[in-house]
Amino acid sequence: MDHKFFSALTTRLMLPKRTRHAKTALFSALLFLSTLGWADVFIRWGQSPLPSANSLGMSKVVFLWNSTTPLQMLTRARKQGYSVYLEAPLQEAAAASQVATSAGCAGIILRFSEDERTKAQTLIDGLRTVHPRLTFLMLGFTGKRPQMKGSLIVKRHSILEVSSPTMQPWIETNIAAIKVAQRAQPGSVPLYTFAWAGPEDAPPTLTASDYSLAIAEASALHADLLLPLDDGLQKTLGQNDAAAWALWSEVRSMAKFGSLETEGGLQPAANVAAVFDDLDPHDEALNLLGRHNIPFQVFLDGDLKANALEDFDLVVVFAKPNQAAAELLAGLASRGKTVVLVDAHGTYPWQKHESIQLNEHTLSYAEGGGKILELSEPVSDPEIFAQDIRRLLGKRDSLLTLWNGLTTVAVPYNDRNRALRQIELVNYAIDPIRVQLQVKGSFTSIRYETPEHGCCQSLAPIKHDAFTEFVIPQLQIGGRIHLD
Amino acid sequence: MRFDRRKLALMGILILSSVAGAQRSHRQILVYKKKFIMGTVFEIAAYGRSSNQTALAIDRAFQKIIDMDDLMSNYKPESPLSRLNRTAHFHSEKVPPDLYRVIQETINFSRMSDGKFDITVAPLVNLWKAALSGDSIPSESAQQQAQACVGYDKIELTPPHQITFHSSCLELDLGAIGKGYAVDRAAEVLRSFGIRNAFINAGGSTILAIGSPPGQTGWLVHLRDPSRKIDPTVTLTNQSLSTSEQSQPSILGHDSPGHIIDPSTGKPLETDFAVNVVAPTGTISDGLSTTLLLLGPTAGKHFVNRTKGISAAWISSTTQVETAINGPQILFSPDH
Repeated sequence: MDHKFFSALTTRLMLPKRTRHAKTALFSALLFLSTLGWADVFIRWGQSPLPSANSLGMSKVVFLWNSTTPLQMLTRARKQGYSVYLEAPLQEAAAASQVATSAGCAGIILRFSEDERTKAQTLIDGLRTVHPRLTFLMLGFTGKRPQMKGSLIVKRHSILEVSSPTMQPWIETNIAAIKVAQRAQPGSVPLYTFAWAGPEDAPPTLTASDYSLAIAEASALHADLLLPLDDGLQKTLGQNDAAAWALWSEVRSMAKFGSLETEGGLQPAANVAAVFDDLDPHDEALNLLGRHNIPFQVFLDGDLKANALEDFDLVVVFAKPNQAAAELLAGLASRGKTVVLVDAHGTYPWQKHESIQLNEHTLSYAEGGGKILELSEPVSDPEIFAQDIRRLLGKRDSLLTLWNGLTTVAVPYNDRNRALRQIELVNYAIDPIRVQLQVKGSFTSIRYETPEHGCCQSLAPIKHDAFTEFVIPQLQIGGRIHLD
Repeated sequence: MRFDRRKLALMGILILSSVAGAQRSHRQILVYKKKFIMGTVFEIAAYGRSSNQTALAIDRAFQKIIDMDDLMSNYKPESPLSRLNRTAHFHSEKVPPDLYRVIQETINFSRMSDGKFDITVAPLVNLWKAALSGDSIPSESAQQQAQACVGYDKIELTPPHQITFHSSCLELDLGAIGKGYAVDRAAEVLRSFGIRNAFINAGGSTILAIGSPPGQTGWLVHLRDPSRKIDPTVTLTNQSLSTSEQSQPSILGHDSPGHIIDPSTGKPLETDFAVNVVAPTGTISDGLSTTLLLLGPTAGKHFVNRTKGISAAWISSTTQVETAINGPQILFSPDH
């Protein structure tokens, strides 16, 4: 996976390389950036009549490119107030760019497979030179439909079957893939899409909540979403159907909430580092860390340099460290951190100490004030592994803990001073729930913002030792906590 | 209610309905819904002639499960069970009929299993919970103290709905049976709407089949198989299936004690088996799954052999299989 995957990621901050029109490109990029919020939704539209941008409450529309894409459709959409993008495969990018420029489109969303990375990057460099006014976004990351999952899945001809055995706590989330994307393109906002999986012999019946959940998730993860719209919904919106517009009104409300510009300079907060030699957005161990609300950041083994991991309480290494990296890890442990090596057999400096056999597969070495655990095999059960990581962190090093949050993902963000400032919440169960949170740190003001009630409801903080607790009275789908 | 998460989603389920069957029953529309209740995902798939009416029946069935959770939850301080746990030490407490009924049924299980199944095990469960989270194992004296609080014979039932505790530290936890009871009540709701073919899944640990898919003789269900090699199946018609197993061992720590406590020893159960139980109702299958796991295959087989309509299979991660069939046949892959 890996580096091929990097290429497939879209980033807003990706600037043209080796362009001979650097000033123009920079101007275009700045112009583009100035229109972006915390998380953007691009709607993918088909052949149905397109309502105006104002009525849909969306400003970015994406049409699938093909050689017969009518130019009028693009110009009409532009006149309706949209920034128009064409989604094209690599092979058609040049032709699509030509048409996009002619029609005054905002850009191209480039779709390609993982093994086309080098070719894609080269092509984009060239296209940027030829079409300096276009923004090129790369889309190679297809995520999962965000949802609460059960054991049964209705499939073709009424067949129901079991889903993944490590499905607990029963939600499909893109958190791991986004974390991987953030490492792949540091400092950028990833773009992803997904397919509405449904019975093979019938399209899924999508509700406003389904669309809202997808938007809420992207917003919580600070990612841009290319949202596929059901053909039926497009058609009925185009026909001015009241029920369709009632549905869309809810979706629009969530999109507005997700796109709100928040405090500048926020960065994902994490105290667990996950180190890989190869990036995989579908890594199940990462998936389960995400589902268990263990805030983690993804690193590559090349990142293991002095001070890189000093801010993390626990480091999980899914790669075989070289001598320098091993010494760095030993140093981290000696300063009180916990290091977990997964299936990384080798000779390491800490092995000069006596070890404790914790179980059939795991040895523990004390190193200064911390410890290093060596797991002799790959993670066999990601669910148990995530629980173990939570246990290793202990209460002292738990950045956040949720009660009644099995279907809730909480994504914490720090400000520039690395102080926790914001927590984005997504409830995949959709039905309103009451959630209790405990966050590390002392906070005097807890404000709760929702799409339903705006900003903000004050919540009463209760301080316990080094932690602050509060109760969210009702989380429907998306919510945002501001901490001061 | 402290529902048993370790039991959740452990059961592989596969229900097949042929194309021909679906075509023959073109008037039967399948409606599927899911909802997060009792700390797990409940799913209902039901066939009906009207999708709206079937959807309404499912919604009402979910509401019944919510009502049962409100009744039996020991996480909700104002639930009748929580109130009972607070006050029945002092005086006889009047409880709602459903709560009385489920407690009555659990006491029957306790008697039948000589106390292996016991809803008063909560003090021991609470004691070991910290150890399960990585803390040290509780002292022998603490274990003995907690064990002294346990005993279903300290519950006095006075019909039609009075309950008294004869111990100052007695506490009831319906987590080992509540989902099964709720599934039965939900099935009653579906039937009251005229639903004759439906499937209720309580997070994978307890399921209940009503009728069969159109054109089929029953609902084909794949059982929990820790070895992932045996693929046992059973065909259910108006029956329930429950699965229970001890917590999986820690990967990065000392072997954790496990969440299922044996009331007779006061310690976490040590077993490599997962047990699958088929029974006529959700209450029975749910209660029996924990009971038969605690009894183990030797004593469990005797229990099943004298209880009509019950089938059970104990399966270990090392492919050891023990069965007791006094109800529906459990099938194993031919090469096993």
